[in-house]
Formats: sequence, structure tokens, C-alpha cells
Amino acid sequence: MEENVFIIHPSEIIRKGLAWILQEYFKMEITQLSAISDVNSFAAISNNLIITIIQKGASLPAETEERLRKNNQLFVVSLSASTDKEGLVEGYDYDLNVLASNLEIQKLIQVIRKSASKSKPIMADNGDLTQREKDVIRQIALGLSNKEMADKLNISIHTVISHRKNITEKLNIKSISGLTVYAIMNNLLDISDINPEELI
Amino acid sequence: MKIFKKEDKMSSLVSANSNLLPVINRFGIQLGFKEKTIQDICKEKEVNPDFFLAIVNTYTDENYFPEEELLSFSPLLLIDYLKNTHNYYIGYALPKIERLLENIMANCGENYPSLKMISSFYQKYKTELLLHLKHEDEKEFPYIVELYKTRKLRPGQKSITEYENEHTDVEEKLSDLKNLLIKYVEPGYNHNDMNEFLQALFQFEKDLYDHARIEDAILIKQVSMLENELKPNEVR
Repeated sequence: MEENVFIIHPSEIIRKGLAWILQEYFKMEITQLSAISDVNSFAAISNNLIITIIQKGASLPAETEERLRKNNQLFVVSLSASTDKEGLVEGYDYDLNVLASNLEIQKLIQVIRKSASKSKPIMADNGDLTQREKDVIRQIALGLSNKEMADKLNISIHTVISHRKNITEKLNIKSISGLTVYAIMNNLLDISDINPEELI
Repeated sequence: MKIFKKEDKMSSLVSANSNLLPVINRFGIQLGFKEKTIQDICKEKEVNPDFFLAIVNTYTDENYFPEEELLSFSPLLLIDYLKNTHNYYIGYALPKIERLLENIMANCGENYPSLKMISSFYQKYKTELLLHLKHEDEKEFPYIVELYKTRKLRPGQKSITEYENEHTDVEEKLSDLKNLLIKYVEPGYNHNDMNEFLQALFQFEKDLYDHARIEDAILIKQVSMLENELKPNEVR
């Protein structure tokens, strides 16, 4: 996974200083932006680890943030100018202040990297499907029969059938091959798990 | 919607519903109608006007059922028409959809698993549709032709409704394909290519829907009537 760091701050001193520190310790692609709205040009990035460091109190444009979050692992870090210890504020994943030491900055990046590798590969928005329904779709896509699914998921066939009915109603996708395509498109399965030439 | 009559101008028909153009083409009728009526043009082209009207009106109005005309033309005419429609799908509509899909695939990045899946899914759908058309062309239609020629039911012969039930539901996958695109495709494709593709799918779905209605509303009814007529003879 590629890493992108965005430092968005009106102060050039802060942008350049922070970029310099990050570059010294980590090989990261760093983009410096003076205005928050400039981040909109990057909304199409996908499958990356994105760290945005923005002025505390500011937030990313909602639409862009939603899109980046959907297609990437996005972490938003607030940068406060004061040394107050009010801690993490809602809307940010981590906080940082201008007096942070090199060591504190390094630690933060390591924490973010660790958290990114822990969480599963990007899970896109799956609408209103429950975890169980996602499990069922995955098994459908892998070609299991209702009986096999019931055994594997430790539920009754009746429950499997009722899940299938709910899935079809929610998604408005009826065919098995259609559900398989859905599973791939929504990252419930990887394309390598199935043979696309043999869609059921 | 308005039901067309023999006295109506052919031009008014196309003006009212341009989707009828490929339909009337299947009768060998082409643009340049001048002031001629439906009756005039049908006579020129040696097309049974009742049959022509039954078809265009079924396309135009969902609730239209050509009761009066039903007995005035042979189902063999209808079968020729349906075969023409199949050829139109195989020779024009499907290749067009495929071209549009190829455009999308050519203009998107290498690493785009969702579109690859969409493409495989389309192939799956196409195979199923072709099988469906083949079943009608090679089994169902020849049965009907033979039935009308011999006017006899062979012992153990499948009825038209049984043939129909053997069909897979081809509408299902087409509707899934549209929904997958509308709801789940990820950015990274060319908008214009995608819009054209999706619009072609919508158009094709409508075509198939009307085509199926003609089969159900006219052909199946006609053939069932004949089957019922012939049955008592068998018993005797």
C-alpha cells in the first residue's frame, strides 16, 4: 500500500518544518497544501494509506473526506498551535501540536502505520447489510449450497434462506453471479478467490 | 397511449414513438413515408396490416391485446417476425452493447477488478441469452410451424406452455447488471463511455420486455388455442 501524507496549513513555516521532519525519518510522499479546498483535487486516490495533517478546528471538505475514507485508509491528524492538553477532539483520528518533539512525531506515524496494517484491507460501504449477510454473500460467491453454508456458518438452512431473501431485497440483485460480482466490487472477496471466467 | 389504425399515417406512428423504428424495419418498411397511411404502405410491402398493427400496438400500449386481429393472421407470420427480431439482437443490439463495453474497458486503468467482473458478468448474461434465443429458434418455433402445417398433436408432444417454462429467466441478469453498475461501480472510468453503455442496456431491456410481451400476448395465446382445438380429436 502506498502512503500519502498531506500537510494542509496556511503557515509555510509549519508546512515545511513538518515535511522536513517527516522526510528525515520516513520515506513518504508528502504533499503540502495551503488551502483545505486544494485537497479536492486528490479525491480520486484509492487503495492508499493517507495521512492528512490539518490545522486544529479545520476539517476536510465533507464529500472529499467521505470519498477518501471509502477508498483508502484515511487518518486525519489535528495540528494545534498551542500546548494546551485538551487532547483528541471529535472529527480527528490523532492529535499533534507544534511543540511536539521529533520523537513524538515519529511515534505518531508508527502508531498510524500499525493501525493501518491491523485493519482489514479496505472495506467499502456495504449499504445496510449485516455482518451475517456479508458472510452469506461471500459463501454464495464461493459457490456453496444452502446446506454447506448452514454447516459452515453454524446456522440452520432456514436462516440461510431468510438471509438470502433479505440480501436480494436489500440489493435488488437476484442472480448468483450478480451477487458474486457484488462481493468483488464491495471487497467482500478478492477477485483471486474466484475464477471470473466461471461465474456461476 | 393512442392505438394506431390502418387509416393513420405511417409518419405519425414514428413521430409518436421512435422506438418503433427498428420494429417496422423488421417488416421491410423504411423511412420516407410521404403522406401514405399504414394501410397504403403495408399493401406496397405486402405486409398483413392487421398483423402489423397488432405488433406496433402491443409495443405502444402495455394493456393492448389484439383480440379482433388475433384470428386474422397466421402465427407463422409472427414466427418470421420474432426470428427477425432475434437476428436484430444477435447481429446488431448485442454487438453494439459489446462495443460500448469494450470502449469502457479500453479507457480504464489496468487494475480495475470491478470492471473486469462486470465484463465477465456480461459475457455470462450473453451466453444465457443466446441459449434462450437458440431454444426458441430451434425447438419452440419449429414445433409451432409443424403444428400449423400438420394440425396434429404428436403423442407425448410438449405443449407451448411447457416449452415456455423451460426458459431461463434472462431478464434477471440484465437487471442485476444494471443495478451493479448504478449502485456499486467505482470511479476511474470514462463517464461518456459508461453512460452510453448503461443507456444501451436500458434500451435493450425495454426491447426484450416488449418482445416477451408479444410472445406471451399473441403467440402463446394463439398456439394454446390451436392446441386446445386439436386435443379432442386426439381423444376420439
